[in-house]
Amino acid sequence: MVYGEEEMKKLTWKIWLLIIILAFSLLSIFSLPPTFLEKGVLITSVETNSTAFEQGLRQGQIITNIDNTPIENLEGFSNALKEKFNSNENIKLIIQTRNSEAILFSNHVPNITVVEIPKTNIKTGLDLAGGSRAMVQAEDKKLSSVEMDDLVDITRNRFDEFGLSDINVLRVSDLTGNHFMLVEVAGATRTDLKVLISEQGKFEAKIGNETVFIGGERDIASVARSGQDSYVGKPSQLQDGTYTATFRFTIFLSEEAAKRHAEITKDLEVNVTAQGSYLSENLDLFLDDNLVDTLLIGEGLKGRITTQISISGPGSGTTSNEAYEDASNSMHKLQTVLITGSLPYKLEIVKLDTISPVLGKEFIKSIFLAGLAALLMVAIIIFARYKKFKSSMALLITSVSEIIIILGIASFIKWNLDLPSIAGIIATIGTGIDQQIIILDEARQNISLSIKQKLKRAFTIILGAYFTAVVALIPLLWAGAGLLKGFAVTTLIGITAGVLITRPAFADMVKRIEE
Amino acid sequence: MEQKNWYDKNYKWLLLIPIILVLFSLIYMGIFYSKNQDFIYKDISLTGGTSVTIFGKINILDLEQALSEKLEEVNTREIYDLITREQKAVIIEIKTEGCNELEVKQTKTILEDYLGYELVEGDNASFECTGSSLSESFYKQLLIAILFAFFFMAIVVFIIFRTFVPSTAVIISAFADILMTLVIVNIFGMKMSSAGIVAFLMLIGYSVDTDILLTTRILKRQEGLLNERIVGAFKTGITMTLTSLLAIVIALFVVKSFSPVLTQIFTILSIGLGFDILNTWITNTSILKWYMEKKK
Repeated sequence: MVYGEEEMKKLTWKIWLLIIILAFSLLSIFSLPPTFLEKGVLITSVETNSTAFEQGLRQGQIITNIDNTPIENLEGFSNALKEKFNSNENIKLIIQTRNSEAILFSNHVPNITVVEIPKTNIKTGLDLAGGSRAMVQAEDKKLSSVEMDDLVDITRNRFDEFGLSDINVLRVSDLTGNHFMLVEVAGATRTDLKVLISEQGKFEAKIGNETVFIGGERDIASVARSGQDSYVGKPSQLQDGTYTATFRFTIFLSEEAAKRHAEITKDLEVNVTAQGSYLSENLDLFLDDNLVDTLLIGEGLKGRITTQISISGPGSGTTSNEAYEDASNSMHKLQTVLITGSLPYKLEIVKLDTISPVLGKEFIKSIFLAGLAALLMVAIIIFARYKKFKSSMALLITSVSEIIIILGIASFIKWNLDLPSIAGIIATIGTGIDQQIIILDEARQNISLSIKQKLKRAFTIILGAYFTAVVALIPLLWAGAGLLKGFAVTTLIGITAGVLITRPAFADMVKRIEE
Repeated sequence: MEQKNWYDKNYKWLLLIPIILVLFSLIYMGIFYSKNQDFIYKDISLTGGTSVTIFGKINILDLEQALSEKLEEVNTREIYDLITREQKAVIIEIKTEGCNELEVKQTKTILEDYLGYELVEGDNASFECTGSSLSESFYKQLLIAILFAFFFMAIVVFIIFRTFVPSTAVIISAFADILMTLVIVNIFGMKMSSAGIVAFLMLIGYSVDTDILLTTRILKRQEGLLNERIVGAFKTGITMTLTSLLAIVIALFVVKSFSPVLTQIFTILSIGLGFDILNTWITNTSILKWYMEKKK
């Protein structure tokens, strides 16, 4: 690459290896065909239960046309939808994705979020791309790794039930054996995330002081989610002008829970009222210790093994729509808790970041500028010191290819580049240049050794430096629950690629230049 | 020749410079620790608190004054455009205990009252909150990570050189780098973030590089006189350190406008690399030369 066409065939295998790895890295960063040539917008999330979802729109699809107008970017997307949904009437909307077409009839903008198609496969971390992140622990209780895994499972289920996709829930551990649940939502942030995580979702159905059933599959056989067994009634206006709506859905108890119900009710007295005959105690439903519903138990159920129970609750709002939404949300929440079960402890959010994507883009531009300025400075110093154009160029090319390889591997393993990762890349380039200087100087030494032996000596020093760096980075992979892991990961990728690929190639370049 | 003679006569005396500096640093850190019960001043990423970034032009002096009446320990910083110097955002750091909804809302309300408009998390503002118990454990773990890193580095150095004095000299000069940098950071009153601690980890790597170069050239090579080998190593090593230092200082000017995190990393690194010149070429070199002369 430094020597021009006619010398290409003389390149050593080490230089070829560098070229091949570089080609792979570029491929992994840009894909083939390059994504920056593609037009359209990328769907990042689709609300489940929405018309868009029913018509087959999914996360990851690329929208190319709306109503036969080509969509090139985000601006085009919002222009195409602008002023379409001014009235409350249903409007036909044809959304074409790359491989399919969805026709929607709706009176509102489709419930999807879109972004521009990313120009590269490089993924940026939350602190650059924006999004939310929460770290959660149990309040006043140290969870074992098994308990934490259960929590992660339950939380994942809840997000699924809520139709929130594109959410990353995982268990992280730190050096001292603490376990945390890490919840990350990339891109668009969601306000309900905070509420959803921090809620214990403890559900209890009690008669008097005795618990009849709780959420989860042991007590609940199934929960009706649609059709006539699960609905929100038509909102009605109250005297003060606000609206109220009632939801109602049916659940089916497991046999065990049903027997418990029979056991508890069999000794209750029957009160006869004008409305009918009911048992002396009610069935009270509590969500997070708040009473959500009280059901009167009909006389006929006394001591009976009953599996079907109808649950209802209210929603309110200043408009009819709001009341409907409120009731529907409450219903959804209750259903979710009943299906997924409740947690036996309260949760505490120990870290919560909600980061806007506004600054990220500028930041990346500036970081490029910083890198460029620094590299230029290095080039000037190297040229001033060695007064050799070829060697200085070889050094620069090697450093740049090192950056490309790190980015290539990072996109390949889908590593999210956050701020610590970028600091790691900078550290790698710094040590890389240091080691190239060692190679250059060892090769120039005025002694009666062959260039091969000289370079071998350079590598003893480099390997020494490499191993000290590797062992120094390892503790950082765990410290602080891995929040600074990015630094260690990119540095390890960088210096390892350096020692295995770029440094040997650079040594070969120097060998040719010196010979 | 004359200069060489001077060096041969006085290299032991040169050791006094780092010895005095290390002694001063140890005393300073002793006093610092007894005063603050800690090795550094910590920012909210290590004590717990909320960092709010608000986009737009906001006068930070007015803001800080208004907020300090209502909140304890408020810190503000500006983010500005690199070229036009136009203010893009402000970062407000507030010491808070936990991150539950109530506490975040409280902070938000105070800020909104001052600004007169609504802050939407993740839209016109970013909120980053770390609970104080978590930060404390972070801090402890980062210290442990540094200790382990240093310890592992020392083991590798011993494996590479397999002789006591030269290996110890490398470790001493790496330790002196860290200690002296720490003192400067504290004298400046810099509030350290978790990223700042990572910078110290980077420093271990950078400082050991030149020491390994020096020790290999002096211990494992036979050609040339001892002083010639020292000069040869110095030429290579100083090029390495100066290149890194200049590149980092240049990068520092750029990142200063937009990233407090990277600014801190680069500041600590440039201080550390400066001390590394002293500690590699005086501390480590003098000990090594002494050792080699004695061995003769």
